[in-house]
Amino acid sequence: MLSADFLIATAIGYVGLLFVIAYFGDRRARSNTRSFLHSPAVYTLSISVYCTSWTFYGAVGNAARSGLEFVTIYLGPTLVFVGWWFLLRRLVRISHHQRNTSVADLLSSRFGKSNRLAVLVTSIAVVGIAPYIALQLKAVTSSIQAVAGSSEFGQGSLAGIDDVGLAFGIAAGMALFTILFGTRHVDAKEQHHGVVAAIAFEAVVKLAALLAVGIFVVYVGGGFEAIFSRAAAMGVAVDAANTFDSRWLTTLALSVAAIVCLPRQFQVTVVENSDENHLRVASWAFPAYMLLMSLFILPIAMFGLVTMPDGANPDMFALTLPMAFGQDGLALFAFIGGFSSATSMIILESIALSIMVSNHIVMPMILRFSPAGNGDGQGVTRLLLNARRFSIVLILSLGFFYFFFTRDSDALAPIGLISFTAIAQFFPAVLAALFWREASLKAATSAIAGGFLFWVWCSFLPSFQSVSPQVANLLANGPWGIAWLRPEAMFGLDGMDPLVHAAFWSLTVNVLTLALVSLVTRQSALERIQASVFVDVFKRGPLVRGNFVLGSATANDLYFVAERVLGERRAAALFDVAARESGVDPDQLDPTPEFIGRLERELAGSIGAASAHVMLSKVVSGSDISLEEMMQMADETQQVIEYSQQLEQTSAELRSTARQLEEANGRLRELDARKDDFLSQVSHEVRTPMTSIRSFSEILLDDSDITDGQRRHFVGTIHQESLRLTKLLDEILDLSALERGERAWENLPTNAEAALDRALLVCEAALRQSGVQLETGSRAGAITVAADADRLCQVFINLLINAIRYNDAPAPVLRVQSSILAGSYAVEIADNGPGVPTEERKLIFEKFSRGKRSPADTRGAGLGLAISRQLVERMNGTLELVEGPLCGACFRVQLPLRA
Amino acid sequence: MPMWSVRSDNYWAAAVDRPRLIGAMLVLTLLGAMLMLPPLVHVFNQNITHFGVPQIVFYLFAVWLALIIGTALLNRALPGDAPDAGKRDH
Repeated sequence: MLSADFLIATAIGYVGLLFVIAYFGDRRARSNTRSFLHSPAVYTLSISVYCTSWTFYGAVGNAARSGLEFVTIYLGPTLVFVGWWFLLRRLVRISHHQRNTSVADLLSSRFGKSNRLAVLVTSIAVVGIAPYIALQLKAVTSSIQAVAGSSEFGQGSLAGIDDVGLAFGIAAGMALFTILFGTRHVDAKEQHHGVVAAIAFEAVVKLAALLAVGIFVVYVGGGFEAIFSRAAAMGVAVDAANTFDSRWLTTLALSVAAIVCLPRQFQVTVVENSDENHLRVASWAFPAYMLLMSLFILPIAMFGLVTMPDGANPDMFALTLPMAFGQDGLALFAFIGGFSSATSMIILESIALSIMVSNHIVMPMILRFSPAGNGDGQGVTRLLLNARRFSIVLILSLGFFYFFFTRDSDALAPIGLISFTAIAQFFPAVLAALFWREASLKAATSAIAGGFLFWVWCSFLPSFQSVSPQVANLLANGPWGIAWLRPEAMFGLDGMDPLVHAAFWSLTVNVLTLALVSLVTRQSALERIQASVFVDVFKRGPLVRGNFVLGSATANDLYFVAERVLGERRAAALFDVAARESGVDPDQLDPTPEFIGRLERELAGSIGAASAHVMLSKVVSGSDISLEEMMQMADETQQVIEYSQQLEQTSAELRSTARQLEEANGRLRELDARKDDFLSQVSHEVRTPMTSIRSFSEILLDDSDITDGQRRHFVGTIHQESLRLTKLLDEILDLSALERGERAWENLPTNAEAALDRALLVCEAALRQSGVQLETGSRAGAITVAADADRLCQVFINLLINAIRYNDAPAPVLRVQSSILAGSYAVEIADNGPGVPTEERKLIFEKFSRGKRSPADTRGAGLGLAISRQLVERMNGTLELVEGPLCGACFRVQLPLRA
Repeated sequence: MPMWSVRSDNYWAAAVDRPRLIGAMLVLTLLGAMLMLPPLVHVFNQNITHFGVPQIVFYLFAVWLALIIGTALLNRALPGDAPDAGKRDH
């Protein structure tokens, strides 16, 4: 027969054992970093602190009351761990880089290292966890009472002590134990290997105990089938019809948030994690642990409902069933298991919370109110430890008071869900911290505060309904009779499950505030930096950890920063100038405020004022941003600058290519137009002689009575026209052959003067016929050039005929002279005709351009000048229109002298 | 070759590349969430018992077990991170 005294003695003995395990665990972990305490198995078991007496006792009660709902509390975390790659891995990586010690620290560090946010999160956590602690106290109290209440003998020395007294005793004992356990020393990394070892041991004990009870129940009940069938026969069935409603979704979502944000879970999963790869094991092993824990919950609940008397507390079935069957040993084991699950939660939760309270509330106050430089490190450590001890007492007191005020409520699980809802308020901010760059401090603070207020109103306050008539009245009628503010029917949303209602409103307000305020507020420079550190944690290379910069800046630190940002030469120059001005050696430069200001301006020129200020203020005042992190910032800025320079260069290249393309396109269009022009000109030129040939030949065919003289005249005209046509086609062929360079061309030594003389001789008849007077100017004498003699003569004839043909002056004069001009042979053929109008000067060398003055002129096809220019160019010379000695046009042919 | 044999991780690592495995993890997580939420959960929420145990109980525990085994297999196949791997300095 068990007695309460024996139970309490066993519990104390068990705690002693834990203490021994923690002590040796600590020593072992210190002496050997590769011990099994650093193994994934211990890590996984320590995460199993998630399974508290809520699981051990409460889940059975929950299953007895609402069927399958209890599994959501374990399915949610299963999903988080199955998807560890996306959330937990990131969380662990960031927290290792940022050295976060708690969820409050994480949020504060992401949102611009804001202490105000850390204080808010810590306060909410302390208040929000109180129901959870109360749950553990209630479970342990109930378990002791379940044993003690079973018989007169069982009460022992507990006779006359009510549940409040018992709970107080347990709370006090727990506080003492946790203080002895968790606050023996301050660890910079906030890792507690000893505690983790004890927690892992407790995880094994509670799993073994629950499995033992489960197997016993299945054995006694005759197997799963018998238990379920018997329950069904007695009208106790798993109610699956109404299980999968909004409450199912809500508890699942809350458990997802809780496994990430609960202070103790953050502590074991993230802070105590010594190797990211441990997550790989935990990602399946922890869900497996929870599966094993849940395996026998339903059978125990079913069997308890069937066999235990009416009015028995279903929460205690795991303990009372073995007792009912006289298995005192198993009952004792079950008690130890339940005690294990409660103690591990209380120990770890209060350690995690005490770290938050001391780091974020007590420490900043000490720093603010104690003069700097006063007191040694030893004093601060002692102060910190005392702050933690005080926090532990405070946290357990809050838990006890919550238990005291709500002791009439009987079920365990609903109490835990109140805490889950409170802690879930951090989840949106945590997600935003990890994934959303734009989330701002103001948004996170107001979102968490808003969600918390709704939680207090809709979830926390209603839990006092049974002890306070005022609260009951408030719930029924709303404050001051305002019905739409009733805590369980906000804004008239009536008839919902209170948990769903509270979770819906608080989280909706939370998420909306977070999103909307982020969109309308601006981040500070530090927030932006931290946001990119968090969001891009996997994009940056491994971070080299350096020493933290503490105290005032040295010239070395400043130089280190300046060199990275400005480059070695500029930084050295800056420091040399400063050293020379203050008249010391550069090595012994003492940075003055003026110098730091100047440096900041220099840095701002490179990386922007905000970054420069943050960097320097961190170096100068000394803070928890390490020099390495600042270097990383500088490197990133440098990379961005280089990248944008590359972009600029590329876009300049693109611009120039586009311009070239446009020009080429323009040229193509012009050429196309000229081709069309050419074709129409050719058709026109061909058409005129063809027309006359056709009409004359028609006359000859049709008219029989034309005279012989007429016939001869007509045939002569046809012959003439066909000659002209042939000449035209010859010219076109000639020109196109020249242009395409098809014809073989050989420049031979030629006497240029002789060619000119020959041309003059050919034109003599034309000269005489048109009455043009030829003036011959100075002649160059015998000159040899590299040319084709016949072609050169052709060019001269062309020019001479043009000058004769288009000269309409009353006393036409043609002047020809040749000379040596700037090392080349030049022939000028000038006339006193109308000249070439300015607007046509560019066009006269084009094909078919005859000048506008003589539209009716049909004697030439207008190809002469074009062919001449082609020919001269083939002889490496030039043909151009120059200012001549006479009033008309003057063409100059220039050919290089043959060397 | 059975997937759970000792050589399976090498086989998988060779056959499946890293982005695919990470994609598979995401699918597993989302699929797990879908399978345990309405409306899909109602598919197996029939009023039938197997061995006296309601079908839905079997179903939920089976999904749970499948998620555990799936995660374990994927983790074995997934090549390890860089040596850094965010190791906390001791």
